[in-house]
Amino acid sequence: MLDKISSLWPEICLFSVTCVVMLVGLSSSLRVRKLCSPLAALGLLTAGFLVVTTEASGTSLLPNMPSYGKLLTCGVGLLLLLLLSGLPDRRYEAMVATGRTRFSALRTVRAEYYAFFLFSLTGLMLCAGATNLIWLFLALELTSLPTYVMVALSSQRERSLEAGVKYFFLGAMGAAVFLFGFALIYGGTGTVDIDQIAYAIRGQAQDGGINTITLAGMLLALLGLCFKIAAVPMHFYTPDVYQGAASPVTAMLAFVPKAAGFFAITLLLAALGWGDLTGHGALPSPIGEVLTVIAVLTMTIGNVLAVLQTSVKRVLAYSSIAHSGYMLVALVAGPGGSGNDSITNGVAAVMLYLLAYGVANVAAFSVLSTLERAAPDGTTDESDDFADIRGLRKRAPGLAWVMVLAALGLMGFPPLLGFFAKLPLFASGLAGGHVLLVVILALNSAIAAFYYLRLVSVTLLESPDGAGRAESFAMTPFANRTLAGYIAATVIVGAPLVPLIDEAYDATRVAQWGGVYNAAGAAPSPRPRPTPGVGEQTVEEPEAEVVPSVR
Amino acid sequence: MTDFLPTLLTLASEPVAAQVGPVGFAALKEVSLSAPLAAWLIPGLPMLGAVLAVLMAIGGVKSKLPAWTTVLCLAGSFAVTLWLYLQMRDAGAAYTTVKLFDWISFDYLPGKAFVANFSLYIDQLTCLWMLFVTGLAACIALYASEYMSHDVGPGYCRFFFAFCLFVFSMACLVMGDNLLLLYLGWEGVGLCSYLLIGYFYAKPSAVAAAKKAFIINRIGDLGLALGIMLTFVHFGTIQFAELLPKVEQYVALATSGNLAAVPASVQWIAVLFTLAAFGKSAQLPLYVWLPDAMEGPTPVSALIHAATMVTAGVYLVARTMPLFQCGAVTVPPDAWVLPGLVVPALDIVVWGGALTALLAATIGMAQFDIKRIMAYSTVSQLGFMFVGVGLASSYAGAFHVFTHAFFKATLFLSCGAVMHGFGGQLDLRKLSGVMWMKGWLVVGLAMLVGCLNLAGFPFTAGFFSKDVILAEAFSNPHQRVVAWILLVTAGLTAYYTFRVFFRVFLGPKSFEPGDEAHGHNDAHGHDDRAHDGAGHGHGAKGEHGAKGEHGAKGEHGVGEKGAHGAHDQAFQPHAPGWAINLVLAVLAIGSLVAAYAYPTKWVKGLVEKSSAAAVDLTGSAAHAPATLLGMDPHEIMYYVSAGVGAVGILVAFFLHYLGRKTAATSRADAIKLGALQRGAQHKWYVDEFYDATVRVPLKVLAHVLHFLDKVLVDGLVNLAGLLPRGLGMSLRPSQGGELHGYALAMACGIAVLALVALFSLV
Repeated sequence: MLDKISSLWPEICLFSVTCVVMLVGLSSSLRVRKLCSPLAALGLLTAGFLVVTTEASGTSLLPNMPSYGKLLTCGVGLLLLLLLSGLPDRRYEAMVATGRTRFSALRTVRAEYYAFFLFSLTGLMLCAGATNLIWLFLALELTSLPTYVMVALSSQRERSLEAGVKYFFLGAMGAAVFLFGFALIYGGTGTVDIDQIAYAIRGQAQDGGINTITLAGMLLALLGLCFKIAAVPMHFYTPDVYQGAASPVTAMLAFVPKAAGFFAITLLLAALGWGDLTGHGALPSPIGEVLTVIAVLTMTIGNVLAVLQTSVKRVLAYSSIAHSGYMLVALVAGPGGSGNDSITNGVAAVMLYLLAYGVANVAAFSVLSTLERAAPDGTTDESDDFADIRGLRKRAPGLAWVMVLAALGLMGFPPLLGFFAKLPLFASGLAGGHVLLVVILALNSAIAAFYYLRLVSVTLLESPDGAGRAESFAMTPFANRTLAGYIAATVIVGAPLVPLIDEAYDATRVAQWGGVYNAAGAAPSPRPRPTPGVGEQTVEEPEAEVVPSVR
Repeated sequence: MTDFLPTLLTLASEPVAAQVGPVGFAALKEVSLSAPLAAWLIPGLPMLGAVLAVLMAIGGVKSKLPAWTTVLCLAGSFAVTLWLYLQMRDAGAAYTTVKLFDWISFDYLPGKAFVANFSLYIDQLTCLWMLFVTGLAACIALYASEYMSHDVGPGYCRFFFAFCLFVFSMACLVMGDNLLLLYLGWEGVGLCSYLLIGYFYAKPSAVAAAKKAFIINRIGDLGLALGIMLTFVHFGTIQFAELLPKVEQYVALATSGNLAAVPASVQWIAVLFTLAAFGKSAQLPLYVWLPDAMEGPTPVSALIHAATMVTAGVYLVARTMPLFQCGAVTVPPDAWVLPGLVVPALDIVVWGGALTALLAATIGMAQFDIKRIMAYSTVSQLGFMFVGVGLASSYAGAFHVFTHAFFKATLFLSCGAVMHGFGGQLDLRKLSGVMWMKGWLVVGLAMLVGCLNLAGFPFTAGFFSKDVILAEAFSNPHQRVVAWILLVTAGLTAYYTFRVFFRVFLGPKSFEPGDEAHGHNDAHGHDDRAHDGAGHGHGAKGEHGAKGEHGAKGEHGVGEKGAHGAHDQAFQPHAPGWAINLVLAVLAIGSLVAAYAYPTKWVKGLVEKSSAAAVDLTGSAAHAPATLLGMDPHEIMYYVSAGVGAVGILVAFFLHYLGRKTAATSRADAIKLGALQRGAQHKWYVDEFYDATVRVPLKVLAHVLHFLDKVLVDGLVNLAGLLPRGLGMSLRPSQGGELHGYALAMACGIAVLALVALFSLV
């Protein structure tokens, strides 16, 4: 157990900071309460530093995923933290400041807000490093449970509450499904340890076919996890919840649970294995087929519904669904051969794509959360409709360019990070022989171009309409939100400029298949441990170079 | 002078082809420069100038600052070129390559690489070209600082930006060590030419001329692109240092009379390059853009459309001379027409050049716009140069390029000074005796020097360089017809050149200001805002009627003059300032001194110590000095061409100077040549012919295709666009927003996918 602890220092650090934040946020002094977010930032930075310095050990199937995933969490987490500034307690503190009400520690939510945010990130980190199913389940729930509350509290409006409730109930249903799946996997293999599951499944495959119970468990687990990544058929909540929550929280919803879901799916699929023992080949039937169907439906439904929307948040919600579909294509294709570190490695492609997607999302939502106007009832309205950001270039050129870069980044426009992340999705799909799937992916990218370019055209080319709707939106006083957008935009443009992109790609090389299963298929040791070689690999990983660029 | 002449004669009558040992690229040894990267300053400094001009435009500079930075950068570039030349002169027959950075360099197959780096190839031909390009550019930038002064502001910055960018592109073109970099420069100069022709973008005729130049150049550029591709396909490299040795085996075949044995893919390269050269250098049938290009400011006409850019075609032929030696159009032996006919690429070059020279000269004789006359003379002289290189004598072509650059720049700048001073007046019937007006003597003298050069007056640079070409033509037994065409052209040239000089610069003092007279007074009347807003000075005045139309109006004057009478009273021609005079003096002296390059064989040495020297691997004296009337052709040409030139000048003197009382009339008016005259005046209706045969059919086709595109393609695209929208509409009800509905849908979805799993298991 102690060896596990040694790899959990980042999570332990973040957890401790979370506890401190929770206490600090209850102080009666506003100045002390305002320490919450710097403390959280410090915690994330320290956790990131610990990730780089400590030796991570996840499952031996994916020895490099934990450290990559944790760094990704810290990096994008910092951007999300910037976005969150000014959100909790805004009205309440204004009322306290004007003397209309007295401060009461029971009525403030600042402490919960930052604490929940950090808990969620801790859960995400734990997901990336999970080595058994129980751990994985708890980590997933730790990721999700705080977000339900955050959605409900994010604005004073009814629709936030509605969104929170919807999200909670449907999330519980999703959790039930994958928990059932986990249970069946345990039933089918007799173990909850992911390495052992992988070993058992290899054994079943060689003895004439994978156990049906195992397959059913895998199927249910994957379907349940589809809720986390907002994939068909568990995607229905996405637009409502995304629109109901305040933009900073939406940005978080679009990244944190999705990343957790993809880490979990990657782990499960790695345990299931892509075909032969080297990791080269297709997923076993029927998981491969089902996942293909899910990928196709997810991309298509997400995109065609996004085309119709007039709300930018709903467009981004549907596009978030579509992005999950894109990433599933690479997971269907798999890592492609032992030690494949080229752009045909689908697992690595997903990891890189999460970074590109997360950063572009932060950029897009930072623009939406920066623009607001006073509502009749004394609260504020966030910008949401296309009409709200029409002609943004004339009013706030910087923000407009952030939006443009975000849209183009999500679209995968060539010189931007999004392109270099999307290319491997195509490449891995082709290398895996899924030509039809790649064609559908390409068609969907074309459909997606419609609404992304619409975003570009609305912000950049069009003029504000005469009605004054766009003009009524002003910048929030929270410069941090804008700052997050600028940093994200810089990463979108800058990451490919630095020749880092190649190294970034190497860094995402997660599946070290050769280290686990030797190509000859000779009986692997029943309890494969990380070999020294694998450990070295972890230490010299240049991952540290990827995420700093995010910061 | 008494012993100078015999010295010249003996020098010239040395047999041309008495070379022994390797020539061309094989004769060159690779050397390294003492500070190789400094050579990059030659394109680098103009680029710096361009960047500075842009920054000044952004900064809203409203002074002559962009001109001074440009002049400094170009002068610096010239200084570096001079340094480079001195190094290469010491190295002798040598070449060097200087790499700045890897541009394109990758293996497309194991062991096979496509390499096109930012790298310079420098030999003595490069030095020759860059010396006059950068030197003239610096001088003309100085001239332009004054000439463009009424546009100070954004337009001024724009002008000097394009000017600098042009010199950068020209340096890439001339110095690039591979065909792709040459292509980059080739397109770059084309772009700058377009930008500068259309400088007065509010004037429809300037915009039309710019488009015309750009589009016609595209035809040539297509040839260059295809030629480069073919070169790569056949030789696997486009770097000169690797390419030229590989061509040599084919040159051996070609010079031993076995041209048909050269593979067709090699033969076609030169033919395609010929197309490119004819486009850029304005030769038949693609010459029509150059006369119209005179819509640009005169310094641009002088630098780009007379001295430098238009010689790029000649440079291309000289640089890839071995390819041209083995280039040909071969009709397959089983073709139904002219089976087995082989037309060497060099013959195409020679004939294209000769016919262009004659055609342009005849048109030039009948024009009234002096800048246009100079433009046609440029086309004509370019024809001479192509005959020179086409006779496999890069020296003859390059020497004429060199001398022509000086005297044509002088001529253009003199005309520009007149245009500048007389409110845009270019009609030679409305100007007379300019030289004798106060402050115009330098311009007149410079013009005289330029005219003497162009007419081939003995012992001028133009005289020598033209003679080399004529002698080469006469000594080649196959090209006698061409030689006679050129000789006639030389006579016509002398006539139309001095027609301008006698009419505009000599005779009774009289003038009529041009349409821009009013605008000029404004520009100098401190009413700056009127011009800054639009960024141009002439543009707004263009509405009064394009200058070109005046030539076509023929009989006019009195009536119109009345309309302008009020302005004419007030108008005073303003004599050029120090910058214009200084540059004119320098260039005029330069064109005189350039003559010295002949007896000292300076240019000849440069060209023959470069890869441009024609390779004759057979060793036989193909250019054995034939005799003409029992004398060495070079020797006799001195007398013949001097005589022809003198006749031309005398005819012009008689018709346009003797007894002329007014600006508008002369004895030449009495000569009626009917259709011939009208044809020449209307440029032989070539533009109209192209309109009818190319433009109209293309336009019709375009309309048809546009219709098809609208109906069929757009229809399909719109249909494809509707599909996702329709799909979305049909899925929309699934997002009703009800919690239990979502839960049910999720459960159903799981069930359906479980069924999918079951079916795929079965």
